[in-house]
Amino acid sequence: MVLHSKKATRRHVMALGAAVLTAPAIRSAHAQAKTLVIGGSVPLTGAAAETGLNVNNGYITAVSYINDVLGGVEIAGDKYKIDLKLFDDASDPARATTLIQRQIDEGTNFFLGSFGSNIVLPTAAITERAKKPMVQTGGGSDAIFTKGYKYIFGMFPRATRQFAATAAMFKSLQPLPQTYSVVWTNDAFSKTAAEGVRLSCDAAGFKRIEGYELPAKPTDVSSVLGSVRSTNPDLLVCVMHDQNSLLVARQMVASNTNVKLLFQGLGPQLASFREALGKHSDYLCCSTYWDENVPFKDKFFGDSKKFIEYYKTKFTRPIAYHVAGAAACIETYVLAMQAAKSTDPEKVRDALAKADYETFYSRIKFTPEGDGDELLMGGMIGQVQKGKLEIVFPAAAASAKPLYPQPTWDKKA
Amino acid sequence: MNLIAQTVADGLVLGGIYALAAVGFSLIFGVLHVINLSHGIIVLMGAYLALIFSETLHIDPLLTMPLVMASLFAVGYVYQRFLIQYAVDSSAFGSILLTFGVALMLHNIMIWVFSPDMKNITPTYAFTSIKLGPIVLDAVRVSCLVASLVLLSCLAGLLKFSPLGRVIRATAQQTLAARLCGVNVRHVYALTFAVSAAFAGAAGIVIGIILPFSPADEATWTLNAFVVVVLGGVGSPAGALIGGLLLGVVSTLTAQYIGPSFPNVTMFLLLVLLLLVRPQGLLGNAFAPSR
Repeated sequence: MVLHSKKATRRHVMALGAAVLTAPAIRSAHAQAKTLVIGGSVPLTGAAAETGLNVNNGYITAVSYINDVLGGVEIAGDKYKIDLKLFDDASDPARATTLIQRQIDEGTNFFLGSFGSNIVLPTAAITERAKKPMVQTGGGSDAIFTKGYKYIFGMFPRATRQFAATAAMFKSLQPLPQTYSVVWTNDAFSKTAAEGVRLSCDAAGFKRIEGYELPAKPTDVSSVLGSVRSTNPDLLVCVMHDQNSLLVARQMVASNTNVKLLFQGLGPQLASFREALGKHSDYLCCSTYWDENVPFKDKFFGDSKKFIEYYKTKFTRPIAYHVAGAAACIETYVLAMQAAKSTDPEKVRDALAKADYETFYSRIKFTPEGDGDELLMGGMIGQVQKGKLEIVFPAAAASAKPLYPQPTWDKKA
Repeated sequence: MNLIAQTVADGLVLGGIYALAAVGFSLIFGVLHVINLSHGIIVLMGAYLALIFSETLHIDPLLTMPLVMASLFAVGYVYQRFLIQYAVDSSAFGSILLTFGVALMLHNIMIWVFSPDMKNITPTYAFTSIKLGPIVLDAVRVSCLVASLVLLSCLAGLLKFSPLGRVIRATAQQTLAARLCGVNVRHVYALTFAVSAAFAGAAGIVIGIILPFSPADEATWTLNAFVVVVLGGVGSPAGALIGGLLLGVVSTLTAQYIGPSFPNVTMFLLLVLLLLVRPQGLLGNAFAPSR
């Protein structure tokens, strides 16, 4: 018993000595790397998974660069590494709300958004109630930004304001188009986007021929195309998710339904979409919020090209603007915390509301309601030309001139 | 008049594809009394296999049909014999839970293997159309409809005239009598499931050609199959065809004359009405008279 006690004493002394010797090192390491937890959910499975994966990869790219390449970020004299806690919400709003509530209960103070207004809206209600900021690149519906929320910030203008740039591009076309029809699907994003199309195009003086609402998951659009053939608008605007856009485009080609310009909000940005349509994808127009050639400088990556370079070391998946938007969410958080000199959620929220930063994605400035500034963060217009997506509007960012009117489908083949 | 003709023609084309997608579900329901909630995922397996085979072998996607059907026949046999049968033996609802669980697992495996991105099968004739007077029909959809009708006829012939069809019908009508006559009922169940999986795979090819697809679509095809079977009746290709065509025509007529966002409303309204008026479906249960 005595012997045992002696051994224990020696061990204790040695342990105490080791602890005394290593304590400064531990303190120093602790000082070097405080942890900043940012939570959220993303749809890695389910209907929204394709773009959800892009959003997820954008978050990971930025955090990985900040932690591994820059060694963390300095906020109010302390070095922080970011701990990203993202969970798969399976494109299910109910599951997303459960995940976000659990993270709030566990003490997470900062949130990133999922993809899809139908998910962002209920999760935003939870973070707002808890007074925790959410910066997101996946929800553009007006409902997110018109409820008086103070803690929700979006990287796009709200849906009804997103189409102003496109209407301006339509006005620049020669010969000037006169009429348009709009097609949307029965979901939160598409419905508000269609409302935006109507507001912007009507304000720009274009005559609306028809508006068509499709089910959320259409399998056949022949009746709509029959009507388009008979009414023959100059412009056909489709605001829906990429899978549905492809269905519309394919059936338009097959049924030889021609318009002078086909604008598809989501779809032509994706290489897979252009590949599926082949030469028929030429002349299609779409919105895009970022391009590798945008001229912005960035405190972290330097510029867009360097961001892409780093992204390619992490992922083989083709890059899309949602990747860049998601990475910009992380950068915006860090810049706001540095401006606030604090990681207190209230102070960071106030700094976000006053944000006016340049990132490789765009200049970041939010409206008082939290969506992206219409002019600074509004969309650019891309057009597929010879299989490649070129920026055709605004002129300052343009890599090519818009081609109009498009030839008939049979002449494209 | 042209508009009505065009709308009905579009509905028939769409309905033929719905019918092929539902016939496997109908057969399993009729013979095994199993509601196969993994039906949609088997349909998508057919689409993915067709994509792989057509890209690897550089052949038209419709020509991959024998390969896809053979692969899914084998998968279906093993799935029923070594998994579903045990669930059926253990409890009445076991098979529903099992097939639901398998669908969830395969859904996630598909995302892991193929990514959640939409895929597309594009044959050389993907963008051509056929003109019949004033009616314009998408060549891809018409070719898919023809493939559907041929396959449904083959299945009807198989069930009516072949020894395997006779054994399947006998087992479905009087399981005990079939067993007393020396029929290996478990083997017949597995063969029925295998045939159904093969036809679901063939439907997957057709669907993959006309629509972009991703793993998230599986529930849609299970639900559609369910509606078609309730409308048309259980167990026969003819019932699936009637149900499918009815669904297709109602969908396009609704989209044209009520509004493009209303086909689901009329589809489920029709379903409720038929359940009230004729719960056994328009053609009834193909195997019921001898029960």
